[in-house]
Amino acid sequence: MDTLTWVVVVVAVMLGIAWYLSYSAARLDRLHTRVEGSLSALDAQLVRRAEATLELANSGAVDPASALILAGAASESLEAHNERALEDDLLEGQRFGAREDLESGLTSALQAALTPEVVAQIRQADGLPTAALRRVEAAAVRVQLARRFHNDAVTDVQRVRRKRVVWWFRLAGHADLPHTVEFDDDLPPALRE
Amino acid sequence: MRVGIVCPYSFDVPGGVQYHVRDLAEHLLGLGHHACVLAPADDETPLPDYVESVGRAVPVRYNGSVARLSFGPVTAARVGRWLERGEFDVLHLHEPVTPSIALLALWSAEGPVVATFHTSNLRSRAMQAAYPLLRPSLEKINGRIAVSEDARRTVTTHLGGDAVVIPNGVNVARFEDAPPAERWRGTRDAPTIAFLGRIDEPRKGLPVLAAAMPAVLAEHPGARILVAGPGDIEAARERLDPAVAAATEFLGMVSDDEKAALLSSVDVYVAPHTGGESFGIVLVEAMSAGAPVVASDLPAFVRVLDGGRCGAMFANEQAADLAHQLNTLLSSPAERRRLSAAGSRRARVFDWSVVAEDVIAVYDTVTHGLNSASDSTSLDTSGLRPGQAGQPGETRWTRLLRGRRTGQY
Repeated sequence: MDTLTWVVVVVAVMLGIAWYLSYSAARLDRLHTRVEGSLSALDAQLVRRAEATLELANSGAVDPASALILAGAASESLEAHNERALEDDLLEGQRFGAREDLESGLTSALQAALTPEVVAQIRQADGLPTAALRRVEAAAVRVQLARRFHNDAVTDVQRVRRKRVVWWFRLAGHADLPHTVEFDDDLPPALRE
Repeated sequence: MRVGIVCPYSFDVPGGVQYHVRDLAEHLLGLGHHACVLAPADDETPLPDYVESVGRAVPVRYNGSVARLSFGPVTAARVGRWLERGEFDVLHLHEPVTPSIALLALWSAEGPVVATFHTSNLRSRAMQAAYPLLRPSLEKINGRIAVSEDARRTVTTHLGGDAVVIPNGVNVARFEDAPPAERWRGTRDAPTIAFLGRIDEPRKGLPVLAAAMPAVLAEHPGARILVAGPGDIEAARERLDPAVAAATEFLGMVSDDEKAALLSSVDVYVAPHTGGESFGIVLVEAMSAGAPVVASDLPAFVRVLDGGRCGAMFANEQAADLAHQLNTLLSSPAERRRLSAAGSRRARVFDWSVVAEDVIAVYDTVTHGLNSASDSTSLDTSGLRPGQAGQPGETRWTRLLRGRRTGQY
């Protein structure tokens, strides 16, 4: 082969490699964007759940002791969210700001307070408490969805980040490796009747 | 909300996924959302006005059965144009790993994507071989839905990650209110048994029912089988035992109203499916219509029938067991009434009003992620409505050349 052919072949190979690298970087970028989006969705649904719980606690539909437990757990969750609201990068810290325990706490508070009898009682009487209960339920369902979708996205990022080409060429840049968010988000069984 | 729904299977022939897509679209429209369906269909096939045809489908053997699919560069371009025209807030794909338009839509999708997995036998050799190619596309899915626990397990094992289970929906009222038809109603001496499904598809179980019938006819000589479903009737009749053939009426393909009337009229509905069913929507339809159900003990059916409390079950592919169950039910009107009542109650769990609510919750979750993500992290997408295709005049190729960075989520 003459020199020209060699040059053409080398240029073609270089172009191929360049395209592949840029394609991989774009793919990773898309995945990181997806993770940030899903985490912020989870964050928003958690806020909604906590706010609805506060509303329910203050609606007079549950006994004062349960109301206090619900309000306590909900306000702790809201505080944790507000402390972190100023940070731009929700992924910073990687551990969801150690909020898992607080959210699990709110879940178990809801489970403890919303027994089948209480739920039946609230549902019978129309008005503010029924609406608040519906909002708690809707938010809790969306928390489950959002967490599952987020963890799916995280799994995808982690898998692509393990690829050698990503490591060698540092395609991930300075982006932190996201971690899955694990906490108990089960609905109180009585709500799912 | 503007929802674009993509169905990979042709609307020419009825099927579970097609019905699911149609009902979902109608429910979304009923709730005031904008819904638009893209599906393969022949020019002659009458389509509701919210369905757009992507062109003809070709019968192809894939994943163990013949499916009518649509693919190729012309189809891909049509799908791309439909996406750009639609300006959807969320794109809802069904069966995205089937080699048809849902996969093509995923390939060119730019906004939030929800995917519903219907099948419980996902793994095929083709998919294993093409997996590295599919991977980057599948990563675009923001929310995965599985219609049953079996479908979810398939997703978890073969694709990794997880999926939320939202069961198939049924318009319970449509079946509950269907007036029974005299010609299909059974009498004490001539009870009627209904079978629904493609008659030349062995997985739907007509051979199992045919093998069980001699024993049933021995105890209930007047029993009639009503077989409703597309397929070659003459060939199917020839495969039957002469006595069974005499007791069998082939109704061919029936309309939705006829199906509801059939299920409201008969004494027993039989689902002898031998496999490949991930949900069993027809069981829910039969229960809504008040028909006592006898079904094979596929895991999906066991779950729909609430562990056998809402219908009789027989060991899969065991004709003798099926005959025994049928004889027991046909001899006991009280048991039939009990199963009918239990089935009607159970069916409400699967009503579309409940199911659509759950699907909309998924849409809310994935679109929320999109909005706030572009608020907080917009780099070069400022000024663009998220989920849209980028600057006007842009094509998929210009985006591909730029490495698909802008306008992306």
